[in-house]
Order: sequence, then C-alpha cells, then structure tokens
Amino acid sequence: MRFMILVKANRDTEAGVMSEEKRIAEMTAYHEELAKAGALLDASGLQPSSRGARIVFSARGQRSVIDGPFAEAKELIAGYTIIEVKSRDEAIEWAKRMPNPAGDGKEGEIELRQLFELEDFEPSEAIDRLRQIEAGARPA
Amino acid sequence: MRFMMLMIPRGYETATPGTMPEAAAVARMMKYNQALQDAGILLSCDGLHPPSMGARVTFQGGKPRVSDGPFAEAKEVLGGYWMINVKSRAEAIEWASRCPAGDNEIIEVRQVQEMEDFPADVQEAAAGFETMQRGSAGR
Repeated sequence: MRFMILVKANRDTEAGVMSEEKRIAEMTAYHEELAKAGALLDASGLQPSSRGARIVFSARGQRSVIDGPFAEAKELIAGYTIIEVKSRDEAIEWAKRMPNPAGDGKEGEIELRQLFELEDFEPSEAIDRLRQIEAGARPA
Repeated sequence: MRFMMLMIPRGYETATPGTMPEAAAVARMMKYNQALQDAGILLSCDGLHPPSMGARVTFQGGKPRVSDGPFAEAKEVLGGYWMINVKSRAEAIEWASRCPAGDNEIIEVRQVQEMEDFPADVQEAAAGFETMQRGSAGR
C-alpha cells in the first residue's frame, strides 16, 4: 500500500527561506534509507504559495483564478514523499523517523495519507482506462 | 517546469473512513486525465483516502508524536493531485481551469522545486537526491 507524507508549510517555507545545510543533509540521509529499504516512490519540494495560484470552481460552473500567497501557512503543503509499505503501522514508523522538517527547536508537522489504489474501486470501463493512463504516465 | 495541481475538496476534512468518489465523478475526471495524457504533460496522478484514515506527526521538543485522523482543526485537506510538466505557469493554470471539478472544489497550482533552483552549497548537501526522487520501490 502506498502512503503520501505531506510536509506542512510554515513561515520559513512560505518566505522561501532555504533549510540549513544540516537539515538538507539529514533529509537526504532519510530518503537514502527509504530508498535502501525499497520503500521510496517519489519525493519533491514545492515552491512557496506566493508563486502559485488557486482555481476556485463555483456552483454555477464559473472558475476564478486567485494568485498566491495563501493565508494559513499551516494548511499549505511545502513538499511530499510517497512511500510503498506493507501496513499503516510501517508507514507511521517511517513518518516518525523523518527529521523535523521545520528544523530543530521549531514546530514541525507532517501528515500521512493513504493513496487510493485502482483495486479500491469497483471494476468499470473508466477504471480500466485509468489503469492504462497510470501505466503510461509512471516512469518504468 | 513541473507543477503540482492539488485538489482540495471542501468537506473532505470530515469524510468518514472508506469514503469513495462516485462513479460518475470518476468517469468525468477520466476524460480530463486522458486529455492531460494525450497532451503528453501528465507525470503522475493519485487520489488520497480521507484524513480520518490518516495520521499527523508533530515534532515538538525533538520527539515525534502521532495523532490519528480526522483532524478537528483542519479547514481544508488534500483529496488528490496531478503532477504535470508544462512550459509556463500560465499553461499550468490553463490546464487546472479545464478540470471538471465540482462545486466548491479548489485546485491549488504549485511549482515544484528543481535541483537547479538551489544554490551550489544546497545542491551539494542534497547530492544524490535526484536519483532518489525517482524512487526505489520498483512499481
């Protein structure tokens, strides 16, 4: 089963402050361990929300584009790591081992969420097509 | 440049464990996924089970502390994402606007950090990370 570890944004990530070299090295080491365990699928950092945008879909079918930044840094995401593990417990174990993304002595938070697998859905033509798209989209 | 389109469905923060999208919504979204695929810009896409099945880890005082979902204070949560590779921010926004999203759904468009965005010392500290990003679990 696959899980996504969402690294929450904070004032520093939203301000575009680079992590200290020590933290980057620790994060790299953590991902190295995930890779060695054969559990790492994907990981990326996101640029601050000030460089992003939101598209809001209204009930009347209208779309409005709102440029960032967005308030409530705690609700925003600064990066993610996707892992493949055997159980939710194993996913939590890995999440606990992640270095505090905010840096030592600061309040950091990550969220762990299970990804939907195609087997979770009732078989249908749409799901079959999604299977083909995923096979084509994912790097071999 | 890579962009992540984050789907934020209002109300998903309180969805019960095992909540599934409706077949009609999946079929609608499939046409959109197909368009992304046909344009050659889709890198990956996934849906996330509701937060009531997830957990949060905080790191106060250097110790990891786990709280199980749902998260009472959450005003908005992630429901899924698309990773796309496009030529500009405007193109990413254009694609996000074409999504057949429902009432009160929001798509947040965020640019992904590439290694060359970082200064030399940071690149050095993160040496080898790009290879790791491609994963090792061999799906």
